[in-house]
Parts: sequence; structure tokens; C-alpha cells
Amino acid sequence: MIRRKIGTLNAWLLVIPALILIGVVVVFPIGYTGYISLTNMNIFNWFTFRIIGFRNYINALFLFDSGFLQSLGVTVLWTALNMTFQLVIAFVMATLLNIEKLRLRKLYKTLLMFPWAMPGYVSILLWRTGMFNTQFGLLNQWLYRLGMEPVRWLAGDVSAFLSSMFVNLWLALPFMIMIMDGALQSLDKSYFESAILDGAGWLTRSVKLTVPAIKPIIGPAVIITLFTTFKQFDVIFLMTKQPGAQTGANIHTVLTYAYENAFITHNYGFSSAVSMLIFLMLISLALLVNIRLRRVAD
Amino acid sequence: MKRILKYGKATSQIIMLALTLTLVVACGSSVASEGETTADSPARPVELVIWHDKEEAIASVLESYLDTLQPEIIVTMERKHGLTETLKLVGNDPRVAPDFYFFAHDKLGVYAEMGILAPITDFVSEEDLEAFLPMTIYAATYRGNVYQLPIYFETLLFMYNRALMSDDEVPTTTEELYAFMRSGAGGRFGFIEQHSTAYFSAGWIHGFGGVIITEDGIPMLNAPETLAALEYRLKFVERMPGETEYATVNALFREGRAASLIGGPWLVPSIRASGVDLGLALMPTVSETGFSLSPFSGVQGLHVLRVAAENPEKNPAIREVLQMLLNTDIGVAMAIASGCAPALTAAYELDVIRNDEMVMKMRETAETAIPMPNIPEMDIMWTVLGNLLVDVNMRSRDIQEAADDAQRRAEDLIRIMRGE
Repeated sequence: MIRRKIGTLNAWLLVIPALILIGVVVVFPIGYTGYISLTNMNIFNWFTFRIIGFRNYINALFLFDSGFLQSLGVTVLWTALNMTFQLVIAFVMATLLNIEKLRLRKLYKTLLMFPWAMPGYVSILLWRTGMFNTQFGLLNQWLYRLGMEPVRWLAGDVSAFLSSMFVNLWLALPFMIMIMDGALQSLDKSYFESAILDGAGWLTRSVKLTVPAIKPIIGPAVIITLFTTFKQFDVIFLMTKQPGAQTGANIHTVLTYAYENAFITHNYGFSSAVSMLIFLMLISLALLVNIRLRRVAD
Repeated sequence: MKRILKYGKATSQIIMLALTLTLVVACGSSVASEGETTADSPARPVELVIWHDKEEAIASVLESYLDTLQPEIIVTMERKHGLTETLKLVGNDPRVAPDFYFFAHDKLGVYAEMGILAPITDFVSEEDLEAFLPMTIYAATYRGNVYQLPIYFETLLFMYNRALMSDDEVPTTTEELYAFMRSGAGGRFGFIEQHSTAYFSAGWIHGFGGVIITEDGIPMLNAPETLAALEYRLKFVERMPGETEYATVNALFREGRAASLIGGPWLVPSIRASGVDLGLALMPTVSETGFSLSPFSGVQGLHVLRVAAENPEKNPAIREVLQMLLNTDIGVAMAIASGCAPALTAAYELDVIRNDEMVMKMRETAETAIPMPNIPEMDIMWTVLGNLLVDVNMRSRDIQEAADDAQRRAEDLIRIMRGE
């Protein structure tokens, strides 16, 4: 009995630093945002704010107008397309990297990791000015050489969305390729050898063997990427909406919309209420995904 | 094996315990050390900190100038990334807040409302302030209090490439400018500017007698003057490249693909370095109204944090620093180092300033330039007006409809800002 209690105590002692860290870094900011959302904290009563109940939440619900719903639709589409392309491309790339007797495998892996090593902000602005710029961008230089008219890649809603998605894939693929590569390497080769003997082709092996086998390994990474993509701010904002450098495209994700309609007001009570509502949306999405995954597993 | 496991377990427990203690103790140690610092004896030199976001040329001039106050007062310039946001978080904390910050005047309304600024008039007299250009003191004033000691100001200038636009071709009116743009300018852009940003568009709105926002914080985005300015400017925008962000505009002009532009003095060093024969001119007059294009001006200067002003040890030292900056030397030194226009009127009587073409052009433009509004509500207008300009210039939306939408949006956001 005493030994068991000591064991429990030891276990707690071991996890306490991690719990404190999670508490300070994750739980406290969320709790504090929740507290601020119930106050009238803005620049006019910065140090004298008081609790005003749920008034900020009522005001925040008015923000959820047609513009917000449209941005929510764009966010869902953005997340769905990005996740689909990421999973498919990463799977193909990882499979190619695992071809037996592939030469220079390490070099390819290093090159594929390169986008991950660069700060996102720098990468996005490099793509924006280096590739998509109407006057100086590489894409239009190629079109010019081919005798074609320059294209304003980031001016139209659809072309800006696709351009932003391309940049996001460039930024996000290294992570997914690394996870898929690790998952593929952990698979037992004997199943595949048996499948080949049974006459299964690459597609059949991929669909019936590889994908089910790596699903539990890549699951957490997919969920993390799903939420990162859903709450994406930097790619679309820096590509199309950076102050002083707007391109004409009018695409908003939930976060860029909230930024333009809440955060610029310096009303921290209101902005926190908006943040909490978006947080609740994300939590709901997380629960839905978890329930779905559990059902699939069962 | 068992023994190894036992020792390993014990070691990991000790490490975890140490980590836990470190995490807990780390939070308290800084407070203790701060407490010790505040108990320093008054005989030691007073140390003052200035936060800034300026380039090295400007910061080093100010720091060397204030070094003459040593050994009694030691002033340190600290370059702060994200200065404006950090000030909101720590501006009221005597342990972390700086004593001054060196920044443009347009944010002082936000900080004054937050209550983290001390009026400059606590340290310098009203007579002292009369030595400054009136525009700079107007910019530094919020709700009747002067919160900034101006040091220099910047404003937009009309710049042209003499190889592509001769001195005789420099337009004095907007219609002359448009005629030059239509003439083709040798297959290049006749004129470019960042047409869909609020900062660059303000000059056109002012040129039609309008304002972006009143001093009381009322947006004027669908006022007749604003609508007229937006409509008139469209024909100019149509003859500029679609994307006109800072880098593109700068590169087009430096590479000789644009004959003229409206830009800030910060562009001048890179333009001159690229070999462009740069000419500077006054802003053209709007042919429709007879007013000149009146760009925004930004006044850069020193602001005193309230927590520093209330510190009895620091208060006299702050006074000494500000008194020292009433001298024309610092403005002149900065003008020489970085081409900025001094805020003190007396500086313009000196030959070294009178012979500087760029500084004198800014001085002349300052006669019609309008300081950026320093009220908090302006923070909303930058975004909302920017979106309106994109709607009109880049998305071809109906001007009246877009302006009405923008006006409603601005009013809503201002209501939220005020917590109404």
C-alpha cells in the first residue's frame, strides 16, 4: 500500500514540471483571455477595467454577419483543399523516397526539408515578391519571354486563393512528408512482399495495406496540421492583405476577418470575446474529429 | 540491472524536482532583484532608457549627443521590436517600462488615453515650445496637453528622375501631371505612388478640402470631398501598375521604369545610390480645387512615460535631457546624418540646413502638410480607408456604395473601440 502511494507520488513528481509548463503556456493564456472577455478593457480604461458580464459576447455575435459566414466558408474550403493536397502529395513523395536502392536519398530529404528551415514570414514575402509580383515576379518574367501578357496573380479572389494555397503547401509539406516517411519506414515489409506475391499492384498495396497501416501513426500529425491550417493567418494576410501592400483580392479566413473587425479597435474585452468564440469553434471541431476517428477505429 | 534502474529513477526524480523548483523560483527572482535596484543610493548616476525603432544613423546621433550628460546621467538607447505593442503591455510597470520612447506622434493619443504618458510641459515651459514649428507642436498635442518633444519631421515629396522628366516638365498642377502620364513618358510609367494605401491617399483627400477623420473622431469617408477625391484620382490610378506596394514602387523608380513618384525621404538614399539623377519638387496643385496635394506629416520625438516622471530620482534627469534637446544642434546633426527636417524653427536659419535641398523641400511642404491625426480612432481608419481604396482602385466598386459601406464599418468599429 505504502509502496503504491510512493509510486503514485513519484509519478506526480515526474509530471509536475510538464504540468506547470502546460499550465503557464497553454491554460493560463486561455483562462486570462476568458477573464478579459468578461471585462470592459479598452484603451479608455486600460488600468481601471471592470467585469461587465457577457456584453462583449453579445456584441461579438453581431460581428458574425454575412462577411463572417463567408470567411468561415473560405476557411473550411481552405482547410479541406490544403489537407487533401498535403496528404496526397506527402504520401506520394514519401513513397518515392522509400523506393529501394534510391540514390541520393539523404540529399532529397534535406532539400525537401528546406522550406521548413526558413522563417515563414520570409518565405511568404519571397514568394509574393519573387514569384507572384506583376512587375518583377519570375512567373510573369516567364510569361513575358513567351510573348504573353503579365498576369496579376494576387488580384483576383480565385487566383489569389490558389496562389496562397500553393505557398502554404510549400511551407507545410516538409512536416507531412517527414511524418509519412517515418511511418512508412516503420512498416513490416513482409506484408508487402506477400501482397506482391499475390499480384497486388502499387495502387492496391497503397490503398489496402499502406494507408490503413500508417493511419494510426500519422493521425496526431494530421489533426495538428488540420487545426494549424484552420486557424491560418499569416499566409493569406501577408500574400493579399498586408497593410500598404493589398493586392485587390478579397479573401478572408476567420482570423483575418476577426483581425480587421475586432483586433484593430484596441478593445481587448471585445477582441477576447471574439477569440473565445473562435476558440470554442475550434474545440467543437476537435471534438467532432475525435469522435469521427474513434468511430473509424472501432 | 535493477540497481541501475533504481539509480536512474532516483536521478530522474532529482532532475524533475530541480526543474520544478527552477520554474517556481524563476518567477520570483526578478522581482527580488528589482527591489534591490530601487533601493540604490541617490549618489549613483541616474540611468535613463529610451526605447526606439529608428535606424542606427538616427539612434547613434541622439545617443552620442546625450552622452555629454555623463557621468551624472547615463542615457541608453534601446531598439525595441514591436515597440508600440510592448508599450501597451508594460508602459505602466516601473520595473520594465522605459523612461522615454522615441517614435512618431500618431500613437500618442492611444497612450495618453491609457494614462501612461506625462505631458512634456511638466518639464519644459510654454515659451520653450514656441521655438518649434507650429505644425510639430500641433501634432504633439492631444486634448490640450503636449505629450511629445518634437525632434524632426518627415513628409512626402514629389520626386522625379531628371533623365525621364526635365526640370521644365515638372508638373505644377495635377492636370499637367496627368498630361505627362498620358504622353507615355517614353514607354515608362509617368508617375507612380502607393495609390491604395491610406497614408499616400490622404494628400489627395486633403487636396479636395476633405479629411479622413475629424478631431472629434468622426469618420468622413463618404463626405463629398472624399468622394470627389476618390473619383478624380481614378484616372491617375488607371495609368499606374496594379501592384504598388513599397518595394515595387521603389524598384520601378530606381530602375528608370517610372519618371516620377510621390514618396518619403527614406527612399532618397537608395534612389541616389542607384545612380538616378533625382529632382525634388513641391506637390502639384489639384486643378479642380486650387489646393495643393497636402500629404500627411509625421513628427518624430521624445515621449516621457508617466512612471518615470513620477520617480523623484529620475524626474530632474528627465528635465535635463529634454532641456538639452531644445538646442538646435541635435536636429541639425540628425538632418546631416539622415536627411530629416528639424522641428526647431531656428535650425532653418543655419547654412548647413538651408543648403540641403531635401530638408528645405520638406520644410516648404510642411506649410501645407497635415500631421497624421493622433487620436486613437485613427488606428481604425488606416485599415478601413485602405480597404475602401482597394475596393475603388483595384476592384472597380461603385465609389458611393463602397464609401457608404466603409463609413458604416468605421463608425461601428469606433463604437466598439469606445466600448459603446
